[in-house]
Amino acid sequence: MTVRVLLFGAEAQAVGAAGVEVLVADGARVEDVRLALASQHPGLMWSMGHARLSRNHVFAVADEVVSATDEIALIGLVSGG
Amino acid sequence: MSVRVTIVEGSVGGAGGMAPLGGMVPAVRSHADSPDVGVDRRAGVGAVLVFEGIVRGLEAGELIAGLEYEVYEPMATRQMEMIARGLVEELGLVSVRVWHSRGRVGGGECSLRVVVRSAHRKEGLVAMERFIDALKRDVPIWKRVVGRG
Repeated sequence: MTVRVLLFGAEAQAVGAAGVEVLVADGARVEDVRLALASQHPGLMWSMGHARLSRNHVFAVADEVVSATDEIALIGLVSGG
Repeated sequence: MSVRVTIVEGSVGGAGGMAPLGGMVPAVRSHADSPDVGVDRRAGVGAVLVFEGIVRGLEAGELIAGLEYEVYEPMATRQMEMIARGLVEELGLVSVRVWHSRGRVGGGECSLRVVVRSAHRKEGLVAMERFIDALKRDVPIWKRVVGRG
């Protein structure tokens, strides 16, 4: 299945887009999406050490199962305030 | 006990704000000027803490026009509400009210305003520090400098 991952801040600037798509197997987990991001979008590799993934507006844990309709986002280092 | 979070376009106003947003958030000069800081006697409030984050006009010694805030709004709102609600429950606060900017905020203007109301100062002070620490760690908001020099 194809999962769209929203990007913000430095990650969005790095790839010049507000989101990318990754191809993962049906039943994939959050960690699979992370691995797919790194392999299918090498321009995001630098952020994989610190960025977190969210699923439907909540920080996700590695073994959560992902569906194609989920809103997935890559949350890099934040700087609000 | 209540929690409310608002994302606003541009400056949130406040004491440091030079250009309040359409009067949505009145500049704070005293409690009498600020309905959201005002205290209902029946709520048992003994302390009102107001924090305002101001955009520095200088960044690494260089003048800047301001900051541009990018907000992943549904998640940022949810995260701030969750953090505030946790503090309200844990510390027994009366309320937490938060405004955060999105878009451009000029140097000297206010981009974050937090109002914590509690029965006693101690839990209010603890809550304020913990809320802002959590905001800077776990709320999806990003900023970048605009207009250097």
